[in-house]
Amino acid sequence: MKRNPTAFLKEEYEELVKNNFDWKLRILQSGSTPHSVVDGKEVIMLCSNNYLNLSNHPRLVKGAIDAAKKFGAGSGSVRAIAGTLELHMEVEKKLAKFKGTESSLIYQTGFAANAGLIPQLVGKGDIVISDEFNHGSIIDGVRLTKADRAVYKHCNMGELEKALKDADKKYNRILTITDGVFSMDGDIAPVDEIVKLAKEYGAMTYVDDAHGEGVIGPDGRGIGAHYGIEGEIDVEMGTFSKAFGVVGGLIAGSQDLVNFAFNKSRTWLLSGSHPPAVAGAQLAAIEVLETEPKHVNNLWDNTKYFKKELSSMGFDTGHSQTPITPVIVGESSVAKELSNSLYDEGVFALPIVFPMVARDKARIRTMMNAGLTREDLDFALEKFEKLGKKLDII
Amino acid sequence: MESKIGFVVNPIAGMGGRVGLKGTDGVLKEAVKLGATPTASIKAEDALRYYLSNYSNKDSIQWFTCAGMMGSEELKNVSIKERKIVYTPSGKDTTSEDTEQACKNLLKEHVDLILFCGGDGTARNVFEVVGKNVPILGVPSGVKMHSGVFGINTSAAAKMLHEFVNERLTIGDAEIMDLDEVLYRKGEWKIQLFGIAKGIVEPTYVQVGKTSYASVSDDEIKDEITEHIEDEMEKYSDFMFLFGSGGTIDYIAKKLGFDNTLLGIDAVCNKRVVGTDLNEEGLLQLLKTHKKTKIILSPIGAQGFILGRGNLQLSPPVIKKIGLDNIIVVSTPSKIASTPVIRVDTGDKKLDHMFVLKEFMMVVIGYRLSRVVRIQTNNF
Repeated sequence: MKRNPTAFLKEEYEELVKNNFDWKLRILQSGSTPHSVVDGKEVIMLCSNNYLNLSNHPRLVKGAIDAAKKFGAGSGSVRAIAGTLELHMEVEKKLAKFKGTESSLIYQTGFAANAGLIPQLVGKGDIVISDEFNHGSIIDGVRLTKADRAVYKHCNMGELEKALKDADKKYNRILTITDGVFSMDGDIAPVDEIVKLAKEYGAMTYVDDAHGEGVIGPDGRGIGAHYGIEGEIDVEMGTFSKAFGVVGGLIAGSQDLVNFAFNKSRTWLLSGSHPPAVAGAQLAAIEVLETEPKHVNNLWDNTKYFKKELSSMGFDTGHSQTPITPVIVGESSVAKELSNSLYDEGVFALPIVFPMVARDKARIRTMMNAGLTREDLDFALEKFEKLGKKLDII
Repeated sequence: MESKIGFVVNPIAGMGGRVGLKGTDGVLKEAVKLGATPTASIKAEDALRYYLSNYSNKDSIQWFTCAGMMGSEELKNVSIKERKIVYTPSGKDTTSEDTEQACKNLLKEHVDLILFCGGDGTARNVFEVVGKNVPILGVPSGVKMHSGVFGINTSAAAKMLHEFVNERLTIGDAEIMDLDEVLYRKGEWKIQLFGIAKGIVEPTYVQVGKTSYASVSDDEIKDEITEHIEDEMEKYSDFMFLFGSGGTIDYIAKKLGFDNTLLGIDAVCNKRVVGTDLNEEGLLQLLKTHKKTKIILSPIGAQGFILGRGNLQLSPPVIKKIGLDNIIVVSTPSKIASTPVIRVDTGDKKLDHMFVLKEFMMVVIGYRLSRVVRIQTNNF
């Protein structure tokens, strides 16, 4: 059969463009800083995950440079063969201590952690019980298993319990899985209750704490510390790419978990290990969190101020409990228009529209940064107020 | 693009309810004598007003309707001037035949959707003419509204019209249900399933990129559920499987190669059909020889009943024989989204209570994928 084997590339891309679903990449001419230069324009950055502004912290930059100078640009191999540096081991040891767990393991990315580990934890005859709003990387990890899947209503513990009860009779292993902090609404999963229920029914607990790591809990130690249940979550998964300001996925838990995970996760086994500079910066990030509490404090001060001011202007900021503050505006078209106008006025924040969120709950999702000053926030707030009135939102 | 919307009001719909009757068909005079006043026109105008004040400036609609109180007056009262009259009722008091004739004429105009205002009786009249040719949407204003074609209230119906015109909603199965008149004359009030119409539903989306989603058709979802059922039938190969009524289950059964009865209960054992369109007696007979049986059910109608509406063959003795743990509930996610609880009303309080104790059921919504859904047993 005569066919054009690659015609679909162009066709499908054009379809995305036609429906306005394509990513129009925004280019930063600066680093990811509180004042960034995006497509040539200086803006207040309200959509990076660099919550603590650590990506620019001198100790992290120095950690990266020193490691690169000492160990070179690349690691030479996958971790399993010849790519495990002493530095990688040091990061893992320090991280476990920081998280209050027996052990930890660094993956290449957060996605690699979920896609690599979840399908090893469950298989045929097992079940995954999942919150309806879990992140796409969890969904893909789950898709790779042969296990059955049950979905419960967002943070609804009554439904979770029923699913556990039903599963208890029918399956071998049961895995409950949830985001710690949900990235669309900024709410926190009731992980203390999840752990309690899971223990009752003999289920494993897996929490993706990507948006909670470095943000919630004392000194930003994450979801386990937030609820005072360090070491009780079977798999505490997180990332170095957000508040920690570097890149890389992580899991923290028992030594048994880590031994199992690195022997079985194909993403971990088959990807090159982090370059020394990355590991050096990761190590410095943990040290900064341990010794400089001001970043986490600034983040929360900024968050509280920003939320309070937005609410007093009359904006609906949903039920966020974290530095993710949605500004709910209603129709998708309004959210898009507000985002564009904000950019023109010097504030960079992206719209989240249907079907990511309900049709009438389209929003601008703002993410706070510890490095923003009160003046910066007032500048952004003034623009929100001005445009909110212009677009009839407030 | 301009949408062609057919608009039919059943002016007498709902009149019986206000005065304690179970419907208005055939008892209009009695209803009037008891003091009933027309309500359908008010509901129709409510829906139209809500629609106009919220969405009209964005949509382009060409209206086709009937003379007088069957649509034209209501459109006129909300200042929709452009409307084509396709039917004029002959008498002052309209009947079901007028609804049917109006729908025949609307089909000739090739309308994209028929928006009607009435109850289950009206839905049935519309469906009998329209079948699966055109999607239908009901503004609820009758005495009974069990059919799955209604918006939950007038404003919801208006919103659905707007979403349909803007191609944000898709076509899905919607059950047409009404009182079983034969039983009613014997003094029993039972709701029967009459057919599966084309309704309009929220599509199911799956994430394909980071923030991009693709809508998945109901058929694709049903294919996934079929695979799931196929696995179950293999896993429980020593079980007899009963296929319940309704569009989703009919699709699954046919996909698996069984000649299924859309509105009835069929039985399959060892990949062979061992009973079609079974009544209670037939079911009990089969259950005598097939001790191990599973039954596949799907929510039926606007309120999401899996038992007690439209499948009365599944009597309490039948359900007790099968056992609650052997009930498999399947549904498309769009249906679960519109009826977020499933209901049972078996007519046996003890049995209903056993469902109440379960509180939730795992409803299969895809291949190896289920969703926790609450059970309610309140009657409608």
